[in-house]
Amino acid sequence: MNVVKFPRMQQPLTQGWQSSELTKLTNACMTVPNSYVSSWEVGTTEHGDPQLYLLGPAPEHDCILSISRLGRLYVLEDGKGQVLFENDNVMMLVEQTCTALRKRKAEIVARLTVCWCTVREFFEEKVEPVLAEPIEIVTHFAPHFSALA
Amino acid sequence: MQFAKAEPKSKQLRKQAGTWLKELRGRAGLSQIQLADVLGFKYYTFISQVENGFGRVPVESMEAWAKALDANPSDFAKRLLSFYEPELYRLLYEVKK
Repeated sequence: MNVVKFPRMQQPLTQGWQSSELTKLTNACMTVPNSYVSSWEVGTTEHGDPQLYLLGPAPEHDCILSISRLGRLYVLEDGKGQVLFENDNVMMLVEQTCTALRKRKAEIVARLTVCWCTVREFFEEKVEPVLAEPIEIVTHFAPHFSALA
Repeated sequence: MQFAKAEPKSKQLRKQAGTWLKELRGRAGLSQIQLADVLGFKYYTFISQVENGFGRVPVESMEAWAKALDANPSDFAKRLLSFYEPELYRLLYEVKK
C-alpha cells in the first residue's frame, strides 16, 4: 500500500492548530457523556503537521483517538492507527469524532458485560456447588442433631 | 467539565519508547512516510503518534515494525515491553527465582 501524498496547499495554513479548530474539537468531545476522554495533548508530525491526541483514563492515559491535519485534510485515527475518517470539513470531523467516542463507550460497556457474564457463569458453575455442599450436609444432619438435643 | 493536561509516569515511558523508535528509524534511514509505507499504513500519522509517546506499537504488528527498523523482533518486543509494561517486564526478566 502506498502512503497517500496529501495535496499541499497553494497558500500554506498556519503551522499548528488554530485555536478555533481546537476549541471546536475539544468542546465537541466534552458534549459526549462519559466518553472516557480524560485529557488531550497536541503534537506534530515530522513534517510539522498538527496532531491532536485524545487521551483515555488514568493511569495509562493511552491515546483513544488522534486527529491530524495534513494540508487541508483531517484524518481521524484510533489508538492503533486505524483510519476512521478523512475529510476536509471540520464540522464533519467533529461529528465523526463524537460518533467514534460514543462507539468506543458502547464497546467498553459490551466488554464489561461479557466480563460480568463470564464471572457470573464461573461463580454459578464452580463456586456455588462448593458453597451448596455444606448447606446440604447441614440439612441432612439437622434432624439427627435436633433428635440428640 | 474541562479536560486536564496529563503527565503520568506511563506517559513518560511511552515518550521514551517513542524516542527510542525514532532513533531506530533514523538508523534504518527511513522517514515517517517511508516507514508507514513499509508497514502498510495509508497515512504516516500513526508513526508520529507512537514516536510522540501517545500511541503504542500494537503487539500484533511488533514483528513488522522490528523488521522494518532492522531490529531483532524478540529484542524489539522485549525493549518495548520494558516501556509499555514495566512491571510485567520486571517480573519476567529482572526478578530472580
